[in-house]
Amino acid sequence: MNILLCCSVGMSSSLLVSKMKKSAFNQGIECKIWAVSVDIALKQMDKADILLLGPQVRYMLPQFKQAGKERGIPVEVINMLHYGTVNGNAVLSFAKQLYSSKEEG
Amino acid sequence: MSKYNSFLENKVMPIASKMAGQRHLLALRDGIILTMPLIIIGSLFLILGFIPIPGYNEFMASIFGDAWMTKLLYPVGATYDIMALIATFGIAYRLAEQYKVDPLSAGAVAVSAFLIATPYFTMFTPEGTEIAVQVGGVIPVTLMGSKGLFVGILIALFSTEIYRKIIQKNIVIKMPEGVPPSVSKSFVALIPAVIVISSVWLIRIGIENLYHLNFLGKLGFTNTTSLHDIITLLLSEPLGILSGSLIGAIIYTLLVHLLWVCGLHGSSILGGVMTPILLTATDQNRLALQAGEELPNIVTSPFFELVFMGGSGVSIVFVVMMVLFAKSEQSKQLGKIAIAPSIFNINEPVVFGAPVVMNPLLMIPFILTPVVLTVTTYIMMKSGFIPLTNGTLPPWTTPPIISGFLATGSWKGSLMQIINLVIAFAIYLPFFKMWDKQNTAMEKGTENINVTKAI
Repeated sequence: MNILLCCSVGMSSSLLVSKMKKSAFNQGIECKIWAVSVDIALKQMDKADILLLGPQVRYMLPQFKQAGKERGIPVEVINMLHYGTVNGNAVLSFAKQLYSSKEEG
Repeated sequence: MSKYNSFLENKVMPIASKMAGQRHLLALRDGIILTMPLIIIGSLFLILGFIPIPGYNEFMASIFGDAWMTKLLYPVGATYDIMALIATFGIAYRLAEQYKVDPLSAGAVAVSAFLIATPYFTMFTPEGTEIAVQVGGVIPVTLMGSKGLFVGILIALFSTEIYRKIIQKNIVIKMPEGVPPSVSKSFVALIPAVIVISSVWLIRIGIENLYHLNFLGKLGFTNTTSLHDIITLLLSEPLGILSGSLIGAIIYTLLVHLLWVCGLHGSSILGGVMTPILLTATDQNRLALQAGEELPNIVTSPFFELVFMGGSGVSIVFVVMMVLFAKSEQSKQLGKIAIAPSIFNINEPVVFGAPVVMNPLLMIPFILTPVVLTVTTYIMMKSGFIPLTNGTLPPWTTPPIISGFLATGSWKGSLMQIINLVIAFAIYLPFFKMWDKQNTAMEKGTENINVTKAI
């Protein structure tokens, strides 16, 4: 499972990435998680199974949803409180949910 | 509150979304970013040239010779002084990318078009004379820097628009099959490039003829012999007023923070419009510093480094309170998470974790504090107690107090930040106490459920 996170410059989301990696390691889930800034997210999307946006760039959701549709990649905004409290567990399970619903669909 | 929320979702979000998704603004923001690392590197040398220690100049001269400053500032001339050139390329590249046409060719064509609009001469006053003479055969450095930035932006947008329209209409030279793709790609750019370059060429010829016929002079445009002169007159100066005044700075601060309390990245959304304006103001100060003149602008991009400490909302003081005084478990936890990023001006944990977003209590100090600090900093600089920012551009992740020193080249810049932090502390404290009390009450009420477990 490849999870791409994206925020304005990729800084605060990289904070979350490190927490998510830890959580994935503890649960024995094999996945690749990384963060980029909005301007390069579009290019990196092809390498991802899921794209998660930071809440501060949720105004970009329509554009990324469109791009995700073309590529068959689910795109969602991360829950604000989970993002703020850097809750790696919660965001990882959110990503897992999206991933499994993608597999089914 | 729900009324307010639905107003935000229905009215503010679409506007923000439109602005952020607007192709040209997006290209502008992402293209100009290309100049930032260069300018930060240039700053490094600039700082070394103007260290505020008595006797520093003499000391440097005794080691490296009298021309030490000129030599030290070589990199400044190849970073700050070519920002328009780099931005032109960057903006054209980013815009072409969005239209899915070859960005590299679009960037190259835009640079060429930018140079066509630029007269290849400079004015030079020979030693011992008073009269400046025109020297040909040079690309004027002054127009490659901030002075040419607006022309560069307009030309990058204009040239890429023409470029992509022609390609999308499929007016291109088609190569027969069997020609290597990279060869045919270079021919694809040919027709649109000819059209872009000819149009800018015609504009320049037009302006020069109008000048010679004294047509421009009659309109009040005396001394306008090039596109650069006209754009400066029409755009740079009026836009400069926006950044040059206290009202302009307050409006900018308000807008950034109003967007943030809606949970949107304020400075990023406004970046496309504000970055060129603030960057130009910053560079005017840098040029004045190097020329040994009085610095012209109070409001520059590093001006806001003195204000937006710990990220937007001056939230660093709020986080420090969490660490020092928090009684509730939630506040303590958030303080632990948020303190390290806050030092480097990253405050999403506070904004979304507290949260400040849509929080009627916390949004008051979050908006009020930076507005108050904008006023105090402006007044202190205007009255001369604190030196103006000198054109150095510290990376935005530079911690407060250090950034104040770097931005002004003086310990007084750090002092200003300390004063600002104290004011911010006073504004935030009552709100912090109420917030912490709310959290404690909530934790007592839900002890069995244990809400903090998730954190």
